[in-house]
Amino acid sequence: MRAHEQEVTGAGAAIAAVGLGDRAYASRFREETGIDFPLLVDEERRAYRVAGLKSGSLLHLLRRDNARARKRASAAGHRQRRLGRDPFQLGASFVFGPGDRDLYVHLSETFGDNAPVGELVAAVAGYGDGR
Amino acid sequence: MTPMPRSPGSLSAALAPLVLPDAGGEPVRLGSLWEERPAVVVFLRHYG
Repeated sequence: MRAHEQEVTGAGAAIAAVGLGDRAYASRFREETGIDFPLLVDEERRAYRVAGLKSGSLLHLLRRDNARARKRASAAGHRQRRLGRDPFQLGASFVFGPGDRDLYVHLSETFGDNAPVGELVAAVAGYGDGR
Repeated sequence: MTPMPRSPGSLSAALAPLVLPDAGGEPVRLGSLWEERPAVVVFLRHYG
């Protein structure tokens, strides 16, 4: 996401990330990655539970789409840093709007299943068009 | 992946009252992130 921050903010949206680690972990992550958008700490998994995020399993590691995702990430220069509190936790991407509007929801089905940035930007742009 | 259908506002409304600390320890009410403009909120699989 940090590579696409300007696309998203240029479309008129804020960005924030939520993670499961503790504050020290979050601080190190911010320093290592250079992100400057808010990184929130959900040690008790409250937001993850409310959002209904899924968990993967060892079997997901064998999926072809995961192998492709790992290749893509590696080619883009990303590297895995730490496994974190729950290596099987899956992520999600949302676009929410004023008045608590769900503009876009993507719950990851497996480890490499991330929301296409173009869809996030389109959701933000759609909000601006429909206001 | 196609965005999942949900009833309008159900998820953002449920998340809005939650307060989480940022990396500096400052409390942030999630709903404040999208109060005035859209917000892309990414739930990380892990920090890495």
